[in-house]
Amino acid sequence: MMAARLDVADLSLVDAADAVRKGEVSAVSLLEACLANLDSHEEAVNATIWVDKEAAFAAARAADAKRAAGGPIGPLHGLPLAHKDMYYQAGRLSSCGSVIRRDFVPDYSATVIERLSAAGAYAFAGLNMAEFAQNGTGHNRHHGDCHNPWNLPYITGGSSSGSGAAVAARFTFAALGSDTGGSIRLPAAANGVSGIKPTQTRVSRYGVMPLSFSADNVGPLARTARDCARIMSVIAGHDPRDPTSAEMPVPDYEAGLTGDLRGIRIGMPSTYFLDEVDAPVRAAIEAAASVLAGRGATIVPLTLPLMDAVATYASVVSRVEGATIHAEWMRQRPQDFATHINGRMFPGYAIPATYYVEALSRRGPILKAFAKEVFSQVDLLVTPTIRTCLPTLAATDIDNGPPGTEQVALGISTNTRPFNYLGLPSMSIPCGFDPNGLPIGLQISGRPFAEAAVLQAADAYQRDTDWHARRPEIAAV
Amino acid sequence: MPETPDEAALALEFDVLAKRAGLAIPEDRKAALFAGFKDLRRMLATMRQPRTAADEPAGTFSIQSVTRGL
Repeated sequence: MMAARLDVADLSLVDAADAVRKGEVSAVSLLEACLANLDSHEEAVNATIWVDKEAAFAAARAADAKRAAGGPIGPLHGLPLAHKDMYYQAGRLSSCGSVIRRDFVPDYSATVIERLSAAGAYAFAGLNMAEFAQNGTGHNRHHGDCHNPWNLPYITGGSSSGSGAAVAARFTFAALGSDTGGSIRLPAAANGVSGIKPTQTRVSRYGVMPLSFSADNVGPLARTARDCARIMSVIAGHDPRDPTSAEMPVPDYEAGLTGDLRGIRIGMPSTYFLDEVDAPVRAAIEAAASVLAGRGATIVPLTLPLMDAVATYASVVSRVEGATIHAEWMRQRPQDFATHINGRMFPGYAIPATYYVEALSRRGPILKAFAKEVFSQVDLLVTPTIRTCLPTLAATDIDNGPPGTEQVALGISTNTRPFNYLGLPSMSIPCGFDPNGLPIGLQISGRPFAEAAVLQAADAYQRDTDWHARRPEIAAV
Repeated sequence: MPETPDEAALALEFDVLAKRAGLAIPEDRKAALFAGFKDLRRMLATMRQPRTAADEPAGTFSIQSVTRGL
């Protein structure tokens, strides 16, 4: 159900930033609006792990003072943001959604946090997430499950559960998430917001909790594609502190948002991504393709190669790397992980090294073959982000559900995980609602480093639709 | 490794692998972890593929080099 009221927290990030720059709204009033929504609905949604109101008001007042003094201001000046609780901020808690790191306070900050700060934004909360970013549903044994603001008994998607829910509920204008198998795109889809997983290496991972060396990505969730474009222009680019980050120049993503898709070929895969898709999801994706065609794009039916192999190799790589990173804790304090996290990591110890190396060594040839076969025919791919209508938290509670629950939960990321193995940029934007009133996500993916093209298509779609602007009416608990 | 052995052999393999990794799996979690292990074994059985010229070391994943080739 839609809410009738409006407040400044309903502004998109770009509109809010522009309003602050013009003096039409103060940074303090933006913060007050976000905190009012948080105070009203956090008990129901459970999107945060910590909130620092005192520091937030100090930052907001400083932002207003700086603007009043005529000092130079950045593209995110005075914006209150909140991030998945795994982005290190010197002197602040970074629980990583775990009990193991319940008291972890790093003494250095992530590069992306510093870049956002240099652009004028500040962080006021650490957001709920799957324990160590290791499920796609949003369950968390230690900090409580995150609830979908559109329909509370349903999943938010994960692992950046709080990021998706907080943006949808107007607790914040945008949030960083991380994506190893879909953890930005899944909560973006489930909560009706926009989220982009950039090309592997496009954004620095320095100061970010690792899960998988080969598949981790940093990216934003926000109300609109344009919001994501602005944040990407701030955070993308080489970081000397992360030698794995790409040295390619960063375009002005926002400047490329023309709304014009003439000459763009968009592939709609007829296999894999639509296997066993629910009817409301299929209908929403087909309707979305028509909107894109209306903007000038050519829709091309496509059969994708190698997808089953991609899914298997992706799983092997992420399980082994996750198990490696958590090995010491798995040996010394296994009870401090939720059972389903133990269960996800254990197979990582059971995979022979030769299989892991095989999965990694196939990655280059598979990407080359995929790129050659697919991107010779099309510029972008559109698919459902999630094949099914969203399940409830109860139906995907691996630790307490009946046999088979794990398959339902793991099935959530079937359409997102391949793009982590391939390293390709991929975004989810809202494109409709299912019969339970829950959002449906459209996944748009592109060539390596083609974030600009992905964002352009997403923005063009949002010019002709209003799914991204809708606001959930959150039930009281 | 590719072929999936019977339940008893899998259980033995599971215990050996846990011991080799230095893991003391809590008794109340053993069933859940064993179920996941069995899924993994089924998955691994599909992994082996013929190696071709594309699999030589020069094909190692580097997203920037792939981009240059497009």
